[in-house]
Amino acid sequence: MIIANRLDTGRVVFLGADNQWHTQADKAITATDETVLEDLWAKAQADLDANIIIDAQLIAAEKNDHVAMPSHIKHIIQAQGPTVRTDLGYQVSPDWEG
Amino acid sequence: MYAYDTYDRAIINARVDEFRDQVNRRIKGELSEEEFRPMRLQNGLYLQLHAYMLRVAVPYGTLSGEQMNRLAHIARRYDKGYGHFTTRQNIQYNWPKLVETPDILAELAEVEMHAVQTSGNCIRNVTTDHFAGAARDEIADPRPIAELIRQWSTFHPEFAFLPRKFKIAITGAPNDRAAVKWHDIGLILKKDGAGKIGFEVIVGGGMGRTPVIGKTIRDFIPETDLISYLEAILRVYNEQGRRDNKYKARIKILVEALGADVFADLVEQEWQNTKNNPIDVPQAEIDRIYTFFTPPPLEVLEDVVAVVDEKAASDFVFASWVANNTHAHKVPGHVSLTISLKPHDGIAGDATAQQMDVVADLARDYSHNEVRVSHEQNLILPHVAKHQLLEIYQKLELAGLATANAGLLTDMIVCPGLDYCALANARSIPIGQAIAKRFDDMKRLQDIGPLKLKMSGCINSCGHHHAGHIGILGVDRRGVENYQILLGGSGEEDASKAQLLGPGFDADEIVDAVETVVAVYLGERREAETFLSAVRRLGVAPFKEALYGAA
Ligand code: SF4
Repeated sequence: MIIANRLDTGRVVFLGADNQWHTQADKAITATDETVLEDLWAKAQADLDANIIIDAQLIAAEKNDHVAMPSHIKHIIQAQGPTVRTDLGYQVSPDWEG
Repeated sequence: MYAYDTYDRAIINARVDEFRDQVNRRIKGELSEEEFRPMRLQNGLYLQLHAYMLRVAVPYGTLSGEQMNRLAHIARRYDKGYGHFTTRQNIQYNWPKLVETPDILAELAEVEMHAVQTSGNCIRNVTTDHFAGAARDEIADPRPIAELIRQWSTFHPEFAFLPRKFKIAITGAPNDRAAVKWHDIGLILKKDGAGKIGFEVIVGGGMGRTPVIGKTIRDFIPETDLISYLEAILRVYNEQGRRDNKYKARIKILVEALGADVFADLVEQEWQNTKNNPIDVPQAEIDRIYTFFTPPPLEVLEDVVAVVDEKAASDFVFASWVANNTHAHKVPGHVSLTISLKPHDGIAGDATAQQMDVVADLARDYSHNEVRVSHEQNLILPHVAKHQLLEIYQKLELAGLATANAGLLTDMIVCPGLDYCALANARSIPIGQAIAKRFDDMKRLQDIGPLKLKMSGCINSCGHHHAGHIGILGVDRRGVENYQILLGGSGEEDASKAQLLGPGFDADEIVDAVETVVAVYLGERREAETFLSAVRRLGVAPFKEALYGAA
């Protein structure tokens, strides 16, 4: 999956199958196929160039019950918010825009 | 406190306007991220894991009540209602929007605050003793000279792009509470035979992946020559410091490579140039700055206060709070009061907007409108009359700010770690919380006595683990958070580097490991021997053996 931050707010976002950036990791598109990954990255690059997002990265993901989540603890924390302020993180307000 | 003059005001306001323009151009796409990044960093704006992070400078850790109120207002209006006080005596906001940052900076400028010198390879915000201007052991208040350094270093064109960031710390007391030997330049205030103020100059200290304790290159430089001497040090470093390798670019590497003596000679030579230029500030200007730091008019009062003693006799926690969280003041009958930001169920260094407002009110009502931020991530009311302690305690208790642990094991330095920081390898905050929970009992804490535990989530060492009596370093072991223990560090006048004990521990093992280390101390200590003294006497062997078994 591709993770990034919105330029204007810094909000963590994930590239979805609809080519839009979503605040929830479970809306992220995942792929293993090289050419699909290249297409996804091309979209991310276009939005970097269009100044919509910054700091895009292709990251490892896992699927549990068909729901995608990043694999690494760092990206899980990015997706959900700090593990120590669960009252303020994305867990409570996934649509929070920054 | 220092008050901005028209120059200060003009340059800070101009900076806000400039940054507003830069943000607009970035949003419109006229600036690329590559072009914009150094601009935002020069205004304290980082990108962290979840959002942008704004680091606001608190020069030499001094704030007024109104400034504290403004910090609270910013937390409320532009962030999620809290802020994090750091080991650089600054405050960080974790959730600001890029588009609102210029408004935040404008609101800060209204109360003479800013976010410059909190990032980038410049001379950073100067830090000092959080009890400056109040401590009984102090020779003189170092803040006038800290302010002079602030004025000299702010937007200094020659030193805007140094090989690496550059940190200066200054202490006015022989008991070093500013960790000066761990800074790029450390200054220790002294008086010469004629009673004139000057400084011992220490260079090349630093933490990070190569911890080094600074070395003295001059025993005494008069305060009137200080700026030209600092300028000479910076010039030698700027010219000769390495720019080819980020990890070898700090001044400590240069001083180690050349040797402190050679480095000192180069500085002396350069100083012959800088001191003959009109850089040094005339005595009249130094005197003008001093007038802003005139001590508050405190009445000499009784040092023994019945109301405090009576309460302490019947309330162990209050007695601990008085014993641990107060520091001897110059004026009898007064103390400097540490407001611990280390509640046992909270996050080290965090304060809510409401708590900040409470502290601001207390500062106005009880401490001549002054607050300090300590590098140990606490807040200080520097000038408190002892007979008002009970009243203040009750107000702090209501705000969740009366933890009695200053200087004890749970008064930990804890960096933001992987919960917030993009550079982190491991989380620090939950480990800090687990340790605080384990050592929650005040009687036990008091029995263990003075112990500084310092924790970093990566080798950048923002949590000062190299200087911890117990240091904890978070590492990434094959994708899993892992924690190494170090022992025997000190950030004080007896500065020492903590020694790594051995392989790290998993998150669910590290608290037990800390407890094991503490148990060895309790078993081995001689009467009245502190943890650090015991480690120095025993060496690390018995601790290693307890953790890893006999070799
Ligand atoms: S020590 Fe590392 S993890 Fe902690 S705040 Fe500094 S850079 Fe981040």
